[in-house]
Amino acid sequence: MNLTLGTMLLAVVSALACSLPGVYVVLRRNSMLVDAISHAVLPGIVVGYFFTHNLDSPLLILGAVLSGLVVVLGSELLVRTGLVAGDAPQGLVFPALFSIGVIMVSLNFANVHLDTHAVLVGDLNLAAFRQLQVAGTEVGPAYLYMMLAMLAFNIVFLVLFHNRLKLSTFDAAFASSVGLRTGLLNTAFMFLVSLTVTATFNAAGAILVIALVVVPPATAYLFSRRLDVMIGGTVAVAIAGSVGGFWLSYALDAATSAGMAVFYGVLFTAVFLATRLARSIGRRRATRKLGAQVERRMPATTD
Amino acid sequence: MNGTEPRQQIACRARNLSVAYGGDPVLRAVDLEVPAGVVMGIVGPNGAGKSTLIKAMLGLVTPLTGHSEFFGLPFAKARKRVGYMPQSTTVDWDFPTTVLDVVTMGTYASLGWLRRPGAGQRDQAVQALEQVGMAQLAARQIGELSGGQRQRVFLARALVQAPELYFMDEPFQGIDAKSQQAIVQVLHRLRQTGRTVVIVHHDLATVADYCDQVTLLNRSVVASGPVARVFTRPNIRTAYEVASSEMEFLEFAP
Repeated sequence: MNLTLGTMLLAVVSALACSLPGVYVVLRRNSMLVDAISHAVLPGIVVGYFFTHNLDSPLLILGAVLSGLVVVLGSELLVRTGLVAGDAPQGLVFPALFSIGVIMVSLNFANVHLDTHAVLVGDLNLAAFRQLQVAGTEVGPAYLYMMLAMLAFNIVFLVLFHNRLKLSTFDAAFASSVGLRTGLLNTAFMFLVSLTVTATFNAAGAILVIALVVVPPATAYLFSRRLDVMIGGTVAVAIAGSVGGFWLSYALDAATSAGMAVFYGVLFTAVFLATRLARSIGRRRATRKLGAQVERRMPATTD
Repeated sequence: MNGTEPRQQIACRARNLSVAYGGDPVLRAVDLEVPAGVVMGIVGPNGAGKSTLIKAMLGLVTPLTGHSEFFGLPFAKARKRVGYMPQSTTVDWDFPTTVLDVVTMGTYASLGWLRRPGAGQRDQAVQALEQVGMAQLAARQIGELSGGQRQRVFLARALVQAPELYFMDEPFQGIDAKSQQAIVQVLHRLRQTGRTVVIVHHDLATVADYCDQVTLLNRSVVASGPVARVFTRPNIRTAYEVASSEMEFLEFAP
């Protein structure tokens, strides 16, 4: 597999792995929680590196996921005290964790090889550089296979929990009344999001991962009246956006994650304008029909 | 009537139930017994803890003291025999889903969580929608419904569960006359078939029409029992904390 194709596939697989859980993130109105998680994983990565000296170690990933969960559970705890309102608890927890991570990186703690630029936007090309060799032949970027495993894990989780996630997102009170443990499900789902964000960290960094998670489902939400349609639309937008974004950044010689985020934005705007246009056409047609009916019922009596 | 009522089976009961939100007690030592086969109205002023009582009984709010049982069992063991219709404000109305889909959600628990609903579940859902007069709107996105239509969809979802005991939180709040009529019809049909219904109710004028029994609640139980015996001016006055001079407020009571 040549490097360009491998990198593009990595972009597509990362986009899909992020956007599928993103459907429920958007529907639960938790979009900014992804931003909080993606910042909070940084100290986990640095501390994990201190112990493992290997950026791909499962232990390091686990540490990062746990520090991502600190934001989720910590802010829920703060909300439950009733002392801090709205999404302020997230704003209290994640900057603290992120800045601890930044200080650790800049103090060169554990000699971790992360530059602040890569922490923010990631580097897909670098991530795709190390090739996996099977029986002496290169079969593509090693990171691609990790993201494929992540994607498979997400698909299995979301298929298994489809009914539960749907019901608890739509009507949590009813869901608990029929015996669904909504709190546990929420924690499990946030663990999945945290894991996905951590896995994508090398490719998209702390800031742009939110675009990968949120923009495709938000775009599909514009035209979806059913959850299944929204999931299908999300997959389509993720594929189109990642392929388009990859070639955009390839042509411009820019960061791939940035190219993807920009292309996602373009897709969202196009779909937004199209749904707006469709609605106003529909309204004009309805007005015309209504006018014709009114005229038929009472023919013009005035001059 | 006193003392001559036949001994009835109890559908559900709460014992010494107390609930607090933060440091604020909302319910104090509530005892409640609902005989099987009646429509029980829970009535009281705003903030009396009516919804909280239902939620505490169903374990949606953790009580400070007390416990509840359903057909002699704790809720976890009687879940399948109990249906719950939440207040419509707790639901995400922008969720991409249709009327039929929402009603089908009532079958999820009995399906086992892994299976996707099939034709059988869809038929059940359509039937329930017919009962509440909403079958023609099955394909609508739920956000496009009026308040009364939304309540009817929720009622249909509870009907699909086919429970023996229904809890309905303010089913008549802010709805149109047609929806009200449809819900009352279902209520009567449920009673005829021996089901038990507990409704949180707001409108004193219709208590005697809809309910066989009534519980007057204001943080604790003022009185509970058959409407004729309990729904009296002195009891209502105590529950609503009104002076005896404000008689027009009490015109509904016998």
